[in-house]
Amino acid sequence: MIKLKLKSKLAIFNAFSKALIITVLVLLIPWLVSNISIHETDQILIQKLDQVSALIDSLGIETFIDIDAEFQSFGSYNILKEEFISIEQIASDTLIDVIEFSQRIIEEEIVDYRVLSYSINENENENNYLIEIGKSISTIYLFEHNLKRFTFIFLIIVISLTFILDLSVIQYLLIPFGKIVKKLKLTNHPSSFNYTSVKTSTSDFAYLDETIHSLMRKIELAFNDERDYISNVSHELLTPVSIIQSKLDNILYENNLPENEMIKIFESKKTLRRLTNLVRTLLMMSRIENEEYILSEEVNINNTIQNVINEIEDKISVKELELKLELNANDFIINGNENLLFTLFYNFINNAIRYTDKGHIKVESIKNNNQFVVKISDTGIGIQDDKIPLIFSRYKNSNDKKDSYGLGLALSKKICNYHKIDIEVISKVNQGSTFILRFPE
Amino acid sequence: MRILIVEDEKSLASEIKQFLEKEEYNCDLAHTGNEASELIAVNPYDFVLLDIGLPDYNGLDLIKEAKEYQSEAYFIVITARGELEDKIKGFDLGADDYLPKPFSLLELLSRIQAITRRKFGQQMSIIEFGDFSLDTTKRNLQFKDQSVDLTKKEYKILSYLVLNKNRVLDRLQLTEHIWGDFFEDDYDSNYIDVHIKNIRKKLAKFDDTIRIKTVRGIGYKFED
Repeated sequence: MIKLKLKSKLAIFNAFSKALIITVLVLLIPWLVSNISIHETDQILIQKLDQVSALIDSLGIETFIDIDAEFQSFGSYNILKEEFISIEQIASDTLIDVIEFSQRIIEEEIVDYRVLSYSINENENENNYLIEIGKSISTIYLFEHNLKRFTFIFLIIVISLTFILDLSVIQYLLIPFGKIVKKLKLTNHPSSFNYTSVKTSTSDFAYLDETIHSLMRKIELAFNDERDYISNVSHELLTPVSIIQSKLDNILYENNLPENEMIKIFESKKTLRRLTNLVRTLLMMSRIENEEYILSEEVNINNTIQNVINEIEDKISVKELELKLELNANDFIINGNENLLFTLFYNFINNAIRYTDKGHIKVESIKNNNQFVVKISDTGIGIQDDKIPLIFSRYKNSNDKKDSYGLGLALSKKICNYHKIDIEVISKVNQGSTFILRFPE
Repeated sequence: MRILIVEDEKSLASEIKQFLEKEEYNCDLAHTGNEASELIAVNPYDFVLLDIGLPDYNGLDLIKEAKEYQSEAYFIVITARGELEDKIKGFDLGADDYLPKPFSLLELLSRIQAITRRKFGQQMSIIEFGDFSLDTTKRNLQFKDQSVDLTKKEYKILSYLVLNKNRVLDRLQLTEHIWGDFFEDDYDSNYIDVHIKNIRKKLAKFDDTIRIKTVRGIGYKFED
């Protein structure tokens, strides 16, 4: 669904409703006005008929018509052909009393008239006469035409002006709303929320702002509690571990224990180390879930991979593996968290080394149509097809015989999700695995 | 050398004290921030081991205070929180080193020694064994006036062994020292063994009386 800003929606609605008003008024007003004018014309025609009837009554029909003539008629019109009167004898004794539009030819010119036709019976001589009084309506038509044009222009001007006015008023009224939205947009973490109230005289906006503030305070509080909790749990767990480790260290330095006991103490230290790593990994995962890591560092991925390699290449040479490093993507710089990305590549490359006994480890950075990709491949033991979906889950490890706690890849997956990096795994048993990391475009 | 240990876990504090006293350091204990604050104000310490997770005090404030008293103590910050922000803040305020809990006591000692060597400069930064001399500032090894070609990690392992001569260093301690606190879980791997083998080979070319002894099941020991 297309999403529009409230401002735009109001503007569009406003434009539509005004266009509708224009159409209705442009059609309606001229129609109304011409009807009124025609009605007025009719009134005038009726008045004139009364005057003519009065004249006929007082002067007699003979004044107008030569009774003895074969064709009895009278006609008069003014110079500009605006009005005419005609009286003529008719055969029928049907009573006629109508007002209608009619075209007459006067001096070889067709003129539109509103004509009142009225029949009279004069002097009981059974002569019927028809009186017609006409008034030109070309002025009315002209007026109607002009009116149409002017109402249209006038309405367009008025409506454009009100539209602009409405729009600026809407815009002005929505300023506080825009500020509230902007405040939320700028907040990617509850602690970065700006608690200054937005100035507004609209009570709804003030209410909205206050509600968001109070919700944000609650979120921030919950967030801080969670962080403190994780931090405290880690402190509570790691401090006892630290005490035991120091005690074991001191026992070992006494140096007066038999060899067997020494080895047992060393084994306990190793177990303790395992516990430490477990706590640290879980802690890191919780922190990622809590979005505590800042993602705004500019990280040069080629450099990060190179740093990991510097740290880890001894392991590669100790296992007599070949390292193929092809960092071909130029300007591979993304916004992210350098520490997490270091851990990510370290885990993947470390895993590749761990599960490969001969052949090579290959690390590539590639730029594919604006998308950065890192590929880490090995010639190791590979992963069975049905185990591939399980490798990123906590506590499930497809390589059971190797000493691992299944958290390394789960952590890597979390780091990838956090950075919106897509992971693809291609693997063949005894031929090797390839991990393809696709960075967001 | 006088060291103040600021640690609210009494048991841990006393283990550290016991260890450092064996190494001829004079140690005072403070279990709260207030105690520490008072002790720093009146005593000239060389080192302060500071756990910043104190119940009554923000540990980092202690560094600020100490600087105000013109204390010349070096601060090694200990934290179980492992928060990067703490680390950065610590260095900004003048902490000289940083150790995440849990740490091995030997690692703590080596940090103290490294700072001491930096402080006393040249005369302490060169360690000699046989006809070899190990320069801890330049991070290289020489035999008489010939330079011995060691990789970075080989240098780190050798210097750690030499600086702790006659002491057994277990594989964990060596791993921790060399790889730091990555999520390293390959303790049983033979990386350290391979490195030691290479170091032995390289040293034997010049002098085959140098002894790096294998301690079965645990680690290695450098003998005089």
